Amino acid sequence: MSTHTEHQAPQGREPLDVNDPRLSRFDIVQEGARRDDIEIVHYEQQVVPGTKAERRLARTIALFFLLTGAAATAFLVIYIWWPWQWEPGRGGDKWYTPLLGVTLGIALLGIGFGILTWGKKLLAKEVSIQDRHDQPSSAEDRRIAGETMLFLADEMGIRRRPLLGVSLVAGLLPVGAVVAAPLIGGLITNPHKNNQMFTTGFKPQDGKKIRLIREDGRPIRPADVSVGGQLTVFPGIDGGVSNRHADSPTLLIHLREDDAQKSRAANAREGHGDYMWGNFAAFSKICTHAGCPASLYEQQTNRLLCPCHQSQFLITDNAKPVFGPASRRLPQLPIEVDEEGFFVAKSDYTETIGPDFWERP
Amino acid sequence: MKRRKFDVAAVPAKSAGALDDRFQAATPLRKVLNKVFPDHWSFLLGEIALFSFIVLVLTGVFLTFFFEPAMTEVVYDGSYAPLRGTPMSAAYASSLDLSFDVRGGLVMRQMHHWAALLFMASIVVHMLRVFFTGAFRKPRETNWIIGSLLFWVGFLAGFTGYSLPDDGLSGTGLRIASGIMLSIPVIGSWVTSSIFGGEFPGTIIISRFFIAHVLLIPGLLVALISAHLGLVFKQKHTQWPGPGRTNENVVGERFFPRYVLKQGGFFMVVFGVIALFGGLFQINPIWYFGPYEAWVVSAASQPDWYVMFLDGSTRLMPAWQIDIPIGDGYVIPPLFWPTVVLPGILVGLSLMYPFLEARRLKDHRHHNLLQRPRDVPARTAAGAMALAFFIVLTLSGGNDVIADKFHISLNAMTWAGRVGILILPPLAYYFTHRICLGLQQHDREVLAHGVETGIIKRLPDGRFVEVHQPLSAAEGHDGHAPALDYVGWVVPKKMNRLGALGPAIRGFFYPIEKPAEAPVSPGHPPVEPRPEREEIGSGESRR
Amino acid sequence: MTSDNDRRRGLLARLRGRPVARSRGRRRLGAAVRLTAALMLAGGAYTVFAPGVQAQDNPPLSAAANEGKALFDVSCVTCHGRNAQGVEGRGPSLIGVGSASVEFQVSSGRMPLARQEAQAQRKPPSFTDEQTRQIGQYIQELGGGPQVPQGNLREGANLATGGELFRINCSQCHAFGAGGGALSSGKFAPTLKPASDRQIYAAMLSGPQNMPVFGDNQITPEQKADIIAYIQENLKATQDQGGFNLGRYGPSTEGLAIFLVGIVALVFTTLWIAGKS
Repeated sequence: MSTHTEHQAPQGREPLDVNDPRLSRFDIVQEGARRDDIEIVHYEQQVVPGTKAERRLARTIALFFLLTGAAATAFLVIYIWWPWQWEPGRGGDKWYTPLLGVTLGIALLGIGFGILTWGKKLLAKEVSIQDRHDQPSSAEDRRIAGETMLFLADEMGIRRRPLLGVSLVAGLLPVGAVVAAPLIGGLITNPHKNNQMFTTGFKPQDGKKIRLIREDGRPIRPADVSVGGQLTVFPGIDGGVSNRHADSPTLLIHLREDDAQKSRAANAREGHGDYMWGNFAAFSKICTHAGCPASLYEQQTNRLLCPCHQSQFLITDNAKPVFGPASRRLPQLPIEVDEEGFFVAKSDYTETIGPDFWERP
Repeated sequence: MKRRKFDVAAVPAKSAGALDDRFQAATPLRKVLNKVFPDHWSFLLGEIALFSFIVLVLTGVFLTFFFEPAMTEVVYDGSYAPLRGTPMSAAYASSLDLSFDVRGGLVMRQMHHWAALLFMASIVVHMLRVFFTGAFRKPRETNWIIGSLLFWVGFLAGFTGYSLPDDGLSGTGLRIASGIMLSIPVIGSWVTSSIFGGEFPGTIIISRFFIAHVLLIPGLLVALISAHLGLVFKQKHTQWPGPGRTNENVVGERFFPRYVLKQGGFFMVVFGVIALFGGLFQINPIWYFGPYEAWVVSAASQPDWYVMFLDGSTRLMPAWQIDIPIGDGYVIPPLFWPTVVLPGILVGLSLMYPFLEARRLKDHRHHNLLQRPRDVPARTAAGAMALAFFIVLTLSGGNDVIADKFHISLNAMTWAGRVGILILPPLAYYFTHRICLGLQQHDREVLAHGVETGIIKRLPDGRFVEVHQPLSAAEGHDGHAPALDYVGWVVPKKMNRLGALGPAIRGFFYPIEKPAEAPVSPGHPPVEPRPEREEIGSGESRR
Repeated sequence: MTSDNDRRRGLLARLRGRPVARSRGRRRLGAAVRLTAALMLAGGAYTVFAPGVQAQDNPPLSAAANEGKALFDVSCVTCHGRNAQGVEGRGPSLIGVGSASVEFQVSSGRMPLARQEAQAQRKPPSFTDEQTRQIGQYIQELGGGPQVPQGNLREGANLATGGELFRINCSQCHAFGAGGGALSSGKFAPTLKPASDRQIYAAMLSGPQNMPVFGDNQITPEQKADIIAYIQENLKATQDQGGFNLGRYGPSTEGLAIFLVGIVALVFTTLWIAGKS
């Protein structure tokens, strides 16, 4: 095989006879390329066969492949024998995943770089030029295709027999709808079933007011929340502490005396004069912006921050949004203490919980 | 009867002949074998996406064997003690089992997640390459559209996958997604309840996301990727301008063997890098997030990086609520604009861009040669503007982390983002435009006067001038070397690139063709000395 | 009054730490601030201190509390006033905050403050444990308040309960990985990494700065032990499943990693592959 190819004039050449015994294999390859409009203009071995350089390269590549073998074996050994089950503290199991990743990574990189070195350093360099032939089809071909399609339409005779076309469309449209109907009809769900978007778990059941409970189900006495403290509370109903009532989690806050006064005054302005009980106020934990739990309560500034989009609500001003993208205040839950000394919700929330939507009144 | 000797050496040729008898494969096979690909590092970026997709499929199939896509409540009893006894969904419990009770499951889970991040990252990087080099122009607009769709479908794949473990972080993301759907005017609440099967979170969303994530979306991805690759194959790859390269040819290597070997090797490298990531870097440690509970949240709740720009736009959005006082009153919440309208505009713009540009430049020719970013300042500047927009939004998506770790006020970060989103993109446009023109100018200067040699000469009248080495050897009519044409390709700027010293680092950062390739055989120039090129520079640069 | 002022200046210098060379502008500014402060003090000192003077010497103090009072009168009185009654605009009253608060603020180095700022920062403590205990004793005997119990604070703790309580009550500000997070306008929830058992306990009891108070009725001492155990034994383990945790900042650092490490490594590989050999 020659390191340099003899250049033939690309245009107007005669095809070679590939059965000519004088042709080398490369000549045939080149001839095949030419038939696909490829001219191999430069073909050069990078290493001379039998030289030191070639042997060195072959050794490097072999080394890469052997490295892969070693790493893959290590992977298997670690996979089988390394202690892998979780245990507290810094056990050996903490190294299991890293070791698997490293051995697998090395094994794959070994093959990768082996192949790459082979392809890049050991194979002949070449420069080939191929014609693109991305001109549009000839005008004649275009015309033939166009006429054929028009002829097809003629054969169908839709223009002459309009009834067929109309009835076909009229027949197919309902079929399309039939295909879509089960999917859409099956998925579609009324969002206003049981008025669910406007009620929460705190809605009194059978005239009985709902208790505020903790995450472990215990009801809450006023003494349970320290001044400057907050507690996440739930409706004391079946499944109240679960995602079934994802709109019900509420933040019960015990305000300081002076903050509570401000808060009461703000409540009164809104006609929510009796929503607080003592210095306790309860606000929905579900952000009115996108529904994250807005629960980063700053007890000195009385701001409530939502960690998702940084809306900030001022608790002492009816939880009005004071910064960020939220446009609506957090609804307040009217609370009181029942005869047994536990917090109850006087009624359900009087405003809609959670992210805003079109038909919220 | 004479027994015919079985000729082992003839078996391959014989069976090949038998195959061709039946399938007539030889001619098409020759055509596939004979396919020239241009070689440049930037043409391999899309391959990273393709290869990470393959890794995603491989690891994803493994995960489906162990994942249980159900929201049934179970009590965890696996080997991770800090969650034992906690009620959670079956999906979260099985994700924990994948991490702690399936041997090697964690490394697979992490590889899957890292591969997803790499998939999206390489799509974006590849898209930037295509954009800035003008590879989307006619006849490749369709492939640009498919590529843009791949980003958005990948986005959906990522989001559905991220939600599957049903952990605290992904549940928060799902909650926001439901809020986004709710914000759509008129139909919002119906869309949400239809997708979630009732009120958020319902009991079915994980199963629905699962089938979307493992069947529908991958199916769509496979279809789009096949079309994308098929079109590249059919339309042949673009190439950089340069000696011998015209709009009508492809200069490079044949598909086999070298190019394919390189591709195969590169696949292994991508796979290996993902494996290293999967083992060495922890990703999405769901066991700290706990099961999703509507009342639990963490500071610094972020989505994966490719969703973060939407989170950022949401954070920067002022609280502008539109009230429509008809009947009981209707609302368009502020959440609607940055999360529904903005992505809608972005999808539209990205799909339309090739047509918009062609229309503006009244350019309806075929383009197979790439353009250097500097040669099309308007496009490059527009791209820089878009990139600045995206980066400001993405950074704003993590602005609470930045605020916390660099001790900046959170409110100041939000305001910086609000101001930045208005100011930085135009600035990026202006500066990029100027830089492009400057680079072009320098290239033209070198073509006209030659390379700066660093040799200072004193003229007889006392002036100092720098000696320039002209690029063309031929003497012009007035004793100066004639100025060379501007062709939109690399111009040597240093002496050693001219061959005085040879490149400082051989092989690295250089395309396969040096500006001046030695002729293949003496007396026969390999290609026409100055081939006719249709696109020399850009429309603007030739004004 | 002059001697009082002198002492205060000396104290300010001490609080500032080692004298450092400062520009003339800053020196002038500092002088102006000090002058204003001195004038305001001179004017308002009587009204502010008068009630404190009357309340003095009412309860007999224990020996430790007396030691603590001496330390208090040197280091804390500037902002918190005589007998910890507070100084309007400088520092709150410490009556009723209890030794828990002192223990948290002083042992974590937050108090004495280096300067007035949005939020006190953690720094190396200025007092020894013994001195901290004495100041705490003094504040305790002055006005009572919550105290951190002695002994092992995570006796018989349950990690799973602790995790659940942590996620409900703590993670919204301190983050899932206890790395801390930003609050409004430059305030922040600190990382829990350097916090000791007693400091976490004291913080829950006293609600320092903007942290809500988690009294013993709300989170019982047993539950506090669970939370502390979860933080100290699970979240603080630097080594955990799945390799290097990238600082546990969540998806933001993961995104950074895929670009800075993944994409960069692969782009270099493409450069090598397509480069001239």
